[in-house]
Amino acid sequence: MEALIDTREEFQDLWGIYLPIGVAVAVIVFALVFFTLVRYRRRGDELPRGREGPPIVEGLYALVLAGVVVFLLAMTFRTDDEVTALSADPGAEVDVTAFQWGWRFTYPGEEVTVVGDDRRPPTLVVPTDTTVRFTVESRDVIHSFWIPELRFKRDAFPNREDSFDLSFEEDETVGRCAEFCGLAHGEMTFDVVAMAETEFRDWLETQRRAGGIQHGEPSS
Amino acid sequence: MTVGAEVGAGTAVAKAPPGGLLAWVATTDHKRIALRMAIVSFGFFLIGGLFALVMRSELADPGIQLVGRDTYNQLFTMHGSTMVFLVLTPLALALAVYIVPLQVGAADIAAPRVTLAGHWFVVAGGLTMYSSFLTDHGAGKAGWTAYYPLSGDSATPGTGMDLWVIGVILVGVGLTLVAACLLATIVTLRAPGMTMLRLPVFSWTMLATVLMIVMSVPVLAVGMALLLADRLGASIYESSGGPIAYQHLFWFFGHPAVYIMFFPYLGITAEVVATFARKRFTGYRPLIVALLVFTGLSMTVWAHHMFTTGQVANKYFSLTSTALVVAAGTEYFAVIATLIGGAILLRTAMLFGLGFFLQFLIGGLSGVILASPPLDYHAHDSYFVVAHFHYTLFAGSLFAGFAAAYFWFPKWTGAMLRESLGRIHFVLIVLGTNLTFFPMFLLGYDGMPRRVADYASDAGFTGLNRLSTLGSFLVALGVAVFLWNIFVSLRHREPAGDDPWEGHTLEWATSSPPPRYNFRSLPPITSHAPVLDRRLAAADTAAKPKRGRRR
Repeated sequence: MEALIDTREEFQDLWGIYLPIGVAVAVIVFALVFFTLVRYRRRGDELPRGREGPPIVEGLYALVLAGVVVFLLAMTFRTDDEVTALSADPGAEVDVTAFQWGWRFTYPGEEVTVVGDDRRPPTLVVPTDTTVRFTVESRDVIHSFWIPELRFKRDAFPNREDSFDLSFEEDETVGRCAEFCGLAHGEMTFDVVAMAETEFRDWLETQRRAGGIQHGEPSS
Repeated sequence: MTVGAEVGAGTAVAKAPPGGLLAWVATTDHKRIALRMAIVSFGFFLIGGLFALVMRSELADPGIQLVGRDTYNQLFTMHGSTMVFLVLTPLALALAVYIVPLQVGAADIAAPRVTLAGHWFVVAGGLTMYSSFLTDHGAGKAGWTAYYPLSGDSATPGTGMDLWVIGVILVGVGLTLVAACLLATIVTLRAPGMTMLRLPVFSWTMLATVLMIVMSVPVLAVGMALLLADRLGASIYESSGGPIAYQHLFWFFGHPAVYIMFFPYLGITAEVVATFARKRFTGYRPLIVALLVFTGLSMTVWAHHMFTTGQVANKYFSLTSTALVVAAGTEYFAVIATLIGGAILLRTAMLFGLGFFLQFLIGGLSGVILASPPLDYHAHDSYFVVAHFHYTLFAGSLFAGFAAAYFWFPKWTGAMLRESLGRIHFVLIVLGTNLTFFPMFLLGYDGMPRRVADYASDAGFTGLNRLSTLGSFLVALGVAVFLWNIFVSLRHREPAGDDPWEGHTLEWATSSPPPRYNFRSLPPITSHAPVLDRRLAAADTAAKPKRGRRR
């Protein structure tokens, strides 16, 4: 069985490379500037005679920077391949339709649909410990499907389907629209509930028997 | 008011230039055009800042208190459009229209009437944009990026949105015209001896800037003209590839645009740092190479705004965007090399210049993070991005704008700004800026999206939002001190003289303000710092009888 995509962990690993390097650069530059302000403060009327150092120093420095760039890009490309890879055999599928201003989650082949809007946000129910294939599309303007806990989003365009895989641990979290889409953009949220595979199958069965369409609950 | 009185000897003028109101609206003196551009931009800055204060007040608490969601959407759209189209770009051009002809030793800007027309196009565009507030549906409200289909006629109906689009087109035409005049000035009007490799650093950064403007802003004007046609029924972007095509057109302008709002301010900082380190700018040639590399790369990075669309080559745009680190790093190196071995004097202009340098760094480094697609999949469209670009544009560029004001105000008016008020201004605005924008990094990381008037009370965003709102009012206080400083300094003038800072470049070799045609005579130009050369030569001559020549 192929390994599950853990978008959160992939993000944290890459973040753990970028952030310390960025902080280190900031600390060095801040320290250098404050050092020069003290060390080279004006002491008399004499004008300092600046001399150009040999450009070899700049050249070496640029090479070091280029090295850092290559390293960061290598890490980025590796992670990007991981988080955008599509599984050959996803364990569950959800078709996501975004609209002004709500979401419709359809479980293809299961005859189950969950739909909700900005006043009654829907709940996205997914199984844990398996790959979930999402296919997103918009019915009107551009939206973006974002689950902050999973550190991942993908835009939903009109007239265009796009797919990506996520995996979940047993948990409840929130998702939302990230692309500004008009009046109720801020309220275009959904809840996420991840449950064990067997519970998930039970949930689907219950929904089917109840008519197959579940509406969101009024938000508090 | 007589304008022609100061015309330099030997300059043939066919008829006396107009006076009075006509002189105010129709002057062809680059210095007057520039001051008018700067005043208009600063006026728009105050209005755009007011919008920000209203938004920050709304966000201080969860829930909707002050303005409705529709008004909030108009406010952030107009805030962004104002700051990008009507403040940071025109302000940079205004500084350049004043300073570049002086720095290259020219009597005026090339094609001053075209420059003037460009200025009025920008004003007309700004007024057109703002007139959208008077319409039934309110002002433009699709964000400053106006993504299609949201900006289309069915999602955002109304004349207000049409006016917004027309306004952007007019501004685009105006900016392109002014940029073309600056380009012609730098290429054709340099004084004898002013070779390209003796061009002062600010003028070089402006050359790179106007190149980016003439390459990218026309694309914006075309993209917006197509959007207007679409809104009026032409169905340009309606096909399935339309929305992504709009984004390509927009960001092909929009990404060079952010460097258009960076380079001039880097140039100001370079001049200010060299002057107040009292030392020739170090690393001049590597800086120019870096600028040109940066300019070339800047035209290849646009789709890093589109990583989450799933419709662009993310790795390619990640590569070009991250590669900018090498060019930007070289520019930073040159400024630090200038500080080393200097005799540093911390005047207010220098404080703001260093403020730009250090705070922009935070914006730049967070930009490297955003250039990595897997990190952007989380951070995109969150407050992390809002923090990032405000560190570059506000904590960065605008700080350098204030540096320019303190540095060149004596040249523009003949009077000094007050140092004591300047320091208060600086302290307030440094505290305010970081208090406003640093919490936004954390908010974005924790999942707060941008462009929302409200957030859930249980989301854990309240405390950081309150800090941010508090900071924004400190910024406003700082700006008020700056306005007071201008008022006091013009009311009770401290005469500046020609060269109050012991400047390096040619604008300091003439009176303050300079005469109509700028120079009565020019010093010999043998480097990018001719006025410094003259000062050093004079020091050598003075030292000669006592100690003999040392070199």
